Amino acid sequence: MNLFRSGEHIQRWLAGREPGATIPVEKLSELAHAWWEDRLSPRWRPHTADSNQAILDRLGLTGDFWRLPSS
Amino acid sequence: MNEDDLELRNLTYARFVELGRAPTAAEMAVAADRDRAEALAGWQRLHAEHALVLDLATGDITMANPFSGVATAYRVQAGGRWWYGNCAWDAFGICAALHQEGRIETYCPDCGQSIEIAVRNQHPDDASLLFHCLVPAARWWDDIVFT
Repeated sequence: MNLFRSGEHIQRWLAGREPGATIPVEKLSELAHAWWEDRLSPRWRPHTADSNQAILDRLGLTGDFWRLPSS
Repeated sequence: MNEDDLELRNLTYARFVELGRAPTAAEMAVAADRDRAEALAGWQRLHAEHALVLDLATGDITMANPFSGVATAYRVQAGGRWWYGNCAWDAFGICAALHQEGRIETYCPDCGQSIEIAVRNQHPDDASLLFHCLVPAARWWDDIVFT
């Protein structure tokens, strides 16, 4: 899970491997804030797979690649 | 996750932030008023539930996501400290977890050129960068260190 300077850099880094998913860094920040914002709360409870999937879905990260295993 | 393990998990995260690094099992035993073996056994259960990641050989915390217990390529300045994130996602996650603006320093894995990002009001200041996730979500925990 890395940051790259451009799509060309990703392609070169993959070196023929099957690509995963690429999203803009702005979307990544949005995802990270939704995913981790409660992590230090004293009221934190484990996220369910459904709640995590809902975060991905809400951000448009859908399809087989972004499908979490059910818990 | 039972209530005792949840309490240990929350204390572990709180201690991580207080110290600016991963606490040891001995430190957590004191903080949680348990003996070291009990603290370590609790961490092992939390590891099995993906609530943190241990080096099972040493009992040290490798990841208390989004924080890393070991040095990585993702350095984050936030809340008056430097931290390590486990990956690009977690680097932003440190700002999110601390509810702080921050600065991320890393490098492009392809060309090695440095990348520096300021995160203000949850937004990165360089929108040209791309995030690539190689492993599908269904397999993230098959090998979380590789992921």
